[in-house]
Amino acid sequence: MSSVDLLLPLLIAVPILAATLPIALGLWVDRTGWPVAALTTSALFAGAIALASVVSTRGEAVTHTLGDYPRTYGIELVADQFSILIVLLVTAVATGVLVYTRQGGPRGNTFYTAYLLLTAGLLGISLTGDVFNLFVFLEITSLATYALVASGDGPEAAVASLKYLILGTIAASMYLIGVAFVFMATGTLNMLELAEAIPGAESQTLLHTGVAFIVVGFAVKVAQWPLHTWQPSAYQQAPDGVTPLIAALVSTASAYAFGRLLVTVFGVEYLTAMPNAAAVVLTIGCVSVLAGTILAVIQTEVKRMLAYSSVSQFGLVIAAYGVVIAGSSETAFIGAAIHLVGHGLVKAGLFLGVALVARSYDARTVDEYAGLAKSRPIVAGAIAVLLLSLVGVPPGVGFVGKWYIALGAVQSELWPVAAVIFLSTMLTLAYAARLLEKMYFTPPARADPLHAPAPVATDGGNAGSDESDAEPTRDEPGAAIAAIRGDRSAAPVSTGMVAIVVLAAIGAVALGFSGGTIAELLDPFLTKVIN
Amino acid sequence: MVADIRPLAAVLVSAVAIVLIIASHRRPNLREGWSVVAALAKFGIIVSMLPAVMDGTVFAWSLRESTGIQFLAGIDFALRADPLGIFFALLASFLWIFTSFYAIGYMRGLDEHAQTRFFASFAASLSAAVGIAFAANLVTIFVFYELLSLVTYPLVAHNEDSEARIAGRKYITYTFFGGGVFLLAGTVMIYWLTSLVHSGPTLAFEAGGMEALATAAQAEPIYAQTAFFLLIAGFGVKAALMPLHSWLADAMVAPTPVSGLLHAVAVVKSGAFGIARVILEVYGPGLIHDLPLDVPGIGTVGLNIPVAIVAAFTLTAASIIAMRKDHLKRRLAYSTTAQLSYIVLGLSMLHPYAIVGALFHIPAHAFAKLTLFFCAGSIHVETHTDYISEMAGIGKRMPLTMTAFTVGAAGMAGLPPIAGFVSKFYMLLGAGSMGGEYWLFAAALLLSAVLNIAYFWPVVYTAFFESEERHDAKPLLEFPRGGLVESYADGSDADIAADGGQPTDGEADRSDPERPAEDEDGDYEYAVDEYPSDAEVPDGDHVSSVDHHGDFDDHLTGGPPADGWPRRSPITETTWLMLAPIAVIAIGAVVLGIGPDYAVFLDLARQIVGDVFGLPFEDVTALPFDRLVTGVPN
Amino acid sequence: MIESLFSHYTYVLVFVLLGLGIYMVIASKNLVKKLIGVNLFQTAIFLFFISMAYIDAEDASAPIVPKDGVPLKVMVASPLPQVIVLTAIVVGIALTAVGLALIIRIYAEYGTLREDTLREVRADE
Repeated sequence: MSSVDLLLPLLIAVPILAATLPIALGLWVDRTGWPVAALTTSALFAGAIALASVVSTRGEAVTHTLGDYPRTYGIELVADQFSILIVLLVTAVATGVLVYTRQGGPRGNTFYTAYLLLTAGLLGISLTGDVFNLFVFLEITSLATYALVASGDGPEAAVASLKYLILGTIAASMYLIGVAFVFMATGTLNMLELAEAIPGAESQTLLHTGVAFIVVGFAVKVAQWPLHTWQPSAYQQAPDGVTPLIAALVSTASAYAFGRLLVTVFGVEYLTAMPNAAAVVLTIGCVSVLAGTILAVIQTEVKRMLAYSSVSQFGLVIAAYGVVIAGSSETAFIGAAIHLVGHGLVKAGLFLGVALVARSYDARTVDEYAGLAKSRPIVAGAIAVLLLSLVGVPPGVGFVGKWYIALGAVQSELWPVAAVIFLSTMLTLAYAARLLEKMYFTPPARADPLHAPAPVATDGGNAGSDESDAEPTRDEPGAAIAAIRGDRSAAPVSTGMVAIVVLAAIGAVALGFSGGTIAELLDPFLTKVIN
Repeated sequence: MVADIRPLAAVLVSAVAIVLIIASHRRPNLREGWSVVAALAKFGIIVSMLPAVMDGTVFAWSLRESTGIQFLAGIDFALRADPLGIFFALLASFLWIFTSFYAIGYMRGLDEHAQTRFFASFAASLSAAVGIAFAANLVTIFVFYELLSLVTYPLVAHNEDSEARIAGRKYITYTFFGGGVFLLAGTVMIYWLTSLVHSGPTLAFEAGGMEALATAAQAEPIYAQTAFFLLIAGFGVKAALMPLHSWLADAMVAPTPVSGLLHAVAVVKSGAFGIARVILEVYGPGLIHDLPLDVPGIGTVGLNIPVAIVAAFTLTAASIIAMRKDHLKRRLAYSTTAQLSYIVLGLSMLHPYAIVGALFHIPAHAFAKLTLFFCAGSIHVETHTDYISEMAGIGKRMPLTMTAFTVGAAGMAGLPPIAGFVSKFYMLLGAGSMGGEYWLFAAALLLSAVLNIAYFWPVVYTAFFESEERHDAKPLLEFPRGGLVESYADGSDADIAADGGQPTDGEADRSDPERPAEDEDGDYEYAVDEYPSDAEVPDGDHVSSVDHHGDFDDHLTGGPPADGWPRRSPITETTWLMLAPIAVIAIGAVVLGIGPDYAVFLDLARQIVGDVFGLPFEDVTALPFDRLVTGVPN
Repeated sequence: MIESLFSHYTYVLVFVLLGLGIYMVIASKNLVKKLIGVNLFQTAIFLFFISMAYIDAEDASAPIVPKDGVPLKVMVASPLPQVIVLTAIVVGIALTAVGLALIIRIYAEYGTLREDTLREVRADE
């Protein structure tokens, strides 16, 4: 079957073309955005699965050269075992989030245009085999993200988006400077040709400078401490329906691209020999793990808390890359890949759950989550499962990633890094348990009198809906707010919304059993790039 | 190794029950029915494997072989019903049957909230505990160990008040630190160490220790030692080894069936069981003995010595702390801490006799301690009394319960003919056979027996031989140095400083209705009755502050009613749902003590030890210890 | 050192421009000026690419369309950077457009373009 490589350009071109449809059709028909987006992303998901099955059965990469230009100056698209994981994640999450946005909004045709552009950009990042083309897709992704963040209610979203835009552009430009240096030293932009040219390049200084710029650029894109500042406000201000998408995918794709550059383009051997490279990457990662968690613990807003949690979780991935460089550890790379996918899925589910809660109760702070388990047992359960897989409780997916990363660190005898990774379980637990405790073991707090008109409080509420035994009135005044919560549930929550959160939770546990499978899948890739 | 689905079925049967329990949350009778059915089914499955296992068969189930899914690269998710696994699973599932009935009586007696969550979590805990028992490698045991921490958390935080939340926080912090950090780190290190040798990485338990690890340990002794202590610390958290023990006493805010089955049997024993796996089947006595540790100033000692010292210290210190606790369940908790260290101490002495004793102490302590907790819970349900100082004369109100309590207490102290005697006897035998510095550990064991009597006897004495009108001040040691404020309802410094043991202070200015008798040496004639029950409470705030030290926020104060304890017959003292389990478990403790040879546990323990040393048990004990460890196939 | 600075003066200029751009982003309080800084920063990169494409050689000719239809050994300029810069300019324009749109929205909501005033206004709300 020779035409399977056509899937690669199609995966990128179809969403870009489809992105024009909501606006074009919108001239005649209202509300075309959602069907177009749903159709497109479903098709993309199907295409990704087809591609994945081909890649995994062939055991080697599927490539496509655009326009049949030789890859020296043409653009090559590559789907290998590493990129296919991200492609699957991107298409799956993009399809899943639509289930929420159908009712949860934001509505409007332009929203879905940006949505599809974002998907196209992410798929482009995953599939491209050209370092400059990577820049273009990074920017397409970023542009779509800025637009999506800014589509949030209120002017705060615009401020957050502008902050993101300025930092994001600088970061992408840093990357571009890095590319320029590398190009200067080697004369090619194709990843595979670069991989051959780099070790023998004349001017190593140029290459080292290039690596430095690329590392800084991606440290911003992946939101590593202290360059993470754009991320929490962007996640927080983005519309609830958008946050799952960008939180799960945008930084993940950047982290993927960073890993791709490290292992495929520069090569582990080259970076290992490069002075300080491993130390720098390890330090960035480990510091982010610690700083991100500490910042997450002190947040009151759930969305911000989860955003800082992303800082620390991506810190783990970056630290894993550092282990890969320092110890040529295949294991750590498997861990990084699994953690990327797992974290993406978990965060998508968590932000969907958060969006759902915000929609039904307008609850946004940790304290407002009190008693959620009683009013929404299924959603609370799914959020709990997702949080626990984030912590790394087996058999959740977080454990699998952590296991490989930790094993890689121990095998490379990087004891401080190993210690940070083991401790990260406790650190993650610190904020996860806070939310869990609120949801399950804290009766709803007394309502602020300003927001709790007395008549509302008298109408019974939904107590006892999920417990057979009568809910005893406890000491803590709780009944009042519970009633209000029930009443405030004005915006309807569809079964689909609940189902998608539950699906994410099930996926997070199911992926927890896939550690061996993913390791096998990545094996041919790793043998090629590391040995 | 026989491939069999039963180990998995034994784990999953209560997991299935969780779904059914939640599904039938509107019908309490059906819901509790599922609990009982699951308990019986679980026990049935495990018993069905027992005869074959005692004949040397090992049933195994592996995720890879049955579904083709590999859990982690090179690591299988596997369950294995070997003698040690059956030993623990049999105990947990047998006791769960009776605990189910008891829990029904207890929860209904107190009209507790969130009973669905309670029973679902309880069933999940049992799944995880049996999973720990049957886990065939370190990763599998880690998975279940973490799950156990997780599903017991709702049980600890059950009350949903601030005390329960704080206890829950402490519980989950300690257990995840043990599991998620120490145990995981140890497991990763073992995997790495075994990957250094030719045979490739492995984590599967092998009776007598992993061969690959023994080889690797010769090359990397430092890392092997680190991994050993990491693993011991990881399991030691649940086994409440000092200084990682303090979660256990706080976890007593949980409903009593939880304290009984989980925090005296399933959860804490899973820690002790894990240590047994590490000592017997990961490192093996031979390797532990041969991998000496250089201690500056002392010389080289075996890896087991530090563990034994910690255990010996814990069992002595915890016994002393227990004497100071007036809250009955907390006293029992510290007693648990001490008794668990018996097990760890026995295991770490490495001698076959000591190991048999330690293993047999797992059921011996389980039966006795479960009896004690059941009694405490039953007293709480019937009379809302939690403090020993209020139990004067309670023997006539709850005769059977207090008799069972006496049996359990005797078992704790190791008096014949209760089961505790047999295990301590074996441990002493082991310590004596080892000789040398091990005499110290023998001394600790004996001292602890005395201390056990010291802290249990007052309870029995006050219940049977004192009356509410005339009794001594309790507890035995009052006002510990430094002032253990938390045990006292009104624990302001001023108050403590004011009485200072002086009986001259009148009771007029006391605002505390709860604890009148305790700090007064004289004036006890009307001490308890001054503010009988919940009548005439001077200050509402004090009631709630009192309750924070009790188990439940139920606004009922303990102690005898105004006219003293009514005399009840053993049949009417409480519901059958609670009485029957108490009676059965107490009788079980006696049966284990009178006829250990006929109860399966001792046989199993001997078989386990025989497997570890690769010889029949009779031959093992005939050999001197040095020959034994060098003869262990490494 | 100095000699190499003189022979590579375009690079020096490029990095001066880069510095100016990033300084504007950091130091200027005005949001529009910040965006101009970003633009300057990007333009410097474009110039960097262009200047590196220049190859100093005697028998050189324009790429793609060789003299007399026969490709020469050395070409004056590599075609790749040109393409890159062209693409990057497009990307840059799109970014500027989005950025300006956001600034217009911020101005409409808060009535200010200054970052410090904006912070105060937001803090008040």
